[in-house]
Amino acid sequence: MPLLAFLLLLIAQILSGYGILTLLGLRLRTSYALTLSILLGIALSSFLPFLLQLCWITLTGPTIFGSLAVAALLLNIPAFLRIRREGLPAVVRSFRPGPFRFRVYEVPFFLVMAFFLFISIWRCYYLPPLSRDALSGPEAIAEFAVREHTMINSFFRVDLWSTNNPYKSPYLVSLQMIYKLAGFPFGQIWLSVVVVCFTVFLYQAVKEKVHPVLAGLLVLLLTMAPELYAYTFMILYDYSNMVFFFLSLYFLFGWFREERPTGDALFFAERIPGTYYCSVLLMGIATYIRSETLVLALFFLPLIGWRVRGKYSAGKISRYLVLFVAPSLLAYYLTVPLYLGHYIPIHYKVAGEVNAHLSNLGPLFQRYRDIVTRLFTGVFAVHLWGYILYVFAALFLAELILLRRLSKEACNWLYAIAALYIGVGFLGWLLPLMNLNETTKRSLFKLLPLIVLYLANNGWLIRLSGWISHWEQAKQPISTTDKNTPKPALARANPSARTTSSSGANSKKKKRK
Amino acid sequence: MKSVLLTALSFALILLLVNIGFYKEWFQDKPLRYWQDFLKEKDDTANIQAIRAERYGFNYTMCMRIKEVLEKKKAGHAIILFEPNSYYRDSLHMTIHVPEPAVFYYYTGLEGVWINSPDAVKANFLVRISGKGVRLDAIKTPGQRQQILDFYKKYPPIL
Repeated sequence: MPLLAFLLLLIAQILSGYGILTLLGLRLRTSYALTLSILLGIALSSFLPFLLQLCWITLTGPTIFGSLAVAALLLNIPAFLRIRREGLPAVVRSFRPGPFRFRVYEVPFFLVMAFFLFISIWRCYYLPPLSRDALSGPEAIAEFAVREHTMINSFFRVDLWSTNNPYKSPYLVSLQMIYKLAGFPFGQIWLSVVVVCFTVFLYQAVKEKVHPVLAGLLVLLLTMAPELYAYTFMILYDYSNMVFFFLSLYFLFGWFREERPTGDALFFAERIPGTYYCSVLLMGIATYIRSETLVLALFFLPLIGWRVRGKYSAGKISRYLVLFVAPSLLAYYLTVPLYLGHYIPIHYKVAGEVNAHLSNLGPLFQRYRDIVTRLFTGVFAVHLWGYILYVFAALFLAELILLRRLSKEACNWLYAIAALYIGVGFLGWLLPLMNLNETTKRSLFKLLPLIVLYLANNGWLIRLSGWISHWEQAKQPISTTDKNTPKPALARANPSARTTSSSGANSKKKKRK
Repeated sequence: MKSVLLTALSFALILLLVNIGFYKEWFQDKPLRYWQDFLKEKDDTANIQAIRAERYGFNYTMCMRIKEVLEKKKAGHAIILFEPNSYYRDSLHMTIHVPEPAVFYYYTGLEGVWINSPDAVKANFLVRISGKGVRLDAIKTPGQRQQILDFYKKYPPIL
């Protein structure tokens, strides 16, 4: 029974996520479209019970699952209209996925990744949530919400002096409720769906830049970061926040590569590319999950302004900038001032948590120092992240010193890494509750996929990748219609738009041709 | 042939990674141990409560025992006072951490209080933990309650 409920939920999430992608005018390759649809569907699932709660609607199985079904149907109205216009067979034909292709040398990586993911899924399914942050907050609220049909339940009558965990985003509460109602006594299995989709998406994204052997190795380095791996079966906000933050930047940098706007979405009667819309939406979701992501989003405004300077007028650039933070601001308003500040019985004021000595910059620089000395280097850092930070440092320095040239793509990811370091340190100083060894450490999860994408664009790995590909294909005539050549991530409506694989191994192959 | 070589390279890289430095220690201590756990758990017939007890350990078992006892006593609206964790640490030199009220409520659905909780003055049961075991004592009079609160006042509530 839970399996059936899980599959129905998954279908609803795929449909609603796909509906969102269609509305954004994004056309992606199957692996990206499927994983991103599921992730967007999960984000929507996490929002609907919260929305019902805000409208004081009783949270029961029928209202929650009904709202998920209605959302999936409404978001697919364009698809229904298309079926009516073109007929079902034509639409089904257009959805037919391409054959699943992989090389035999990818199999070892698939096997080891499957091993890691299987263990993670099993622990999500079989074991109850353990972390105190969940038990003294969202998990307990969800448990009593299922019994009492409201998020504003008897849990808030308990003495909450010792914990601030109830005063967090309803993301976790909503998802836990849905999966408990679906028959999973511990909920949690949504996290496995997020983990699997993210891993598949990341592997595809990295494989577009470097040889599959290197792609497998990079993704394995990320999976084997001990602390991050623990959070693939320990429900909290940070893993999901990392996923949506990364995806937002992935599409933002994808948009940078486009020569001119494409897509069908409109904003103030102006054509805005679907990739950009997708990026801002994903950043909004990341902020919904962890409200302080709003501050991190602001750090990317200078980059956006810099990258599109000369392309657009100042007015248009400012509209793009406003659009970038608008969903994040909305998400912040809904979760913090409205929900935590006014809606729940114990009003939570973030202002009370802000550092009272903002003129004293000493602790800010101390925080930056502590992040480097305690979380980035030394034995504790290896226990947290494995050796991925050292691999990053070595290859970055090698590129900087020996090659002395960074690709635009690499620069984007390096900017993101620097912005995250500065932003997380700044948040730790602004909100002293964000302690170094817990909150700041978990905030740094977001660093890992950024590092992997930087490494996928690192000059030395691109060279190595090109060398392996060249050796691999040395005696084979390179066909201009080579089906195994990785295709760009964003298959756009406008064929003149530059693709995401404009650098790296694939572009080298093209140049040789 | 080249594919075979690359496949061998993939295997070699994976083996190298899981056997290098800290990864080796971590891989054996975590993923491999989790795999051993899975082999046991997949055939396990334990119910939800038993799985929770196994996962949460002493605290959960103690909380559920308190619930059982109170249900047997038909205690009505019980408010259970816990001794401060600093009392165990500083006075009894025991490494015991009783659950905070939020987690106790999650486990049992009962109201637990610490000495600094607003409802501590309404507590009608006290959980005492010592080397001899756990006891649940009824608090019968306001005077007795005040005496208890005064005694633990010097031990600040900590997690």
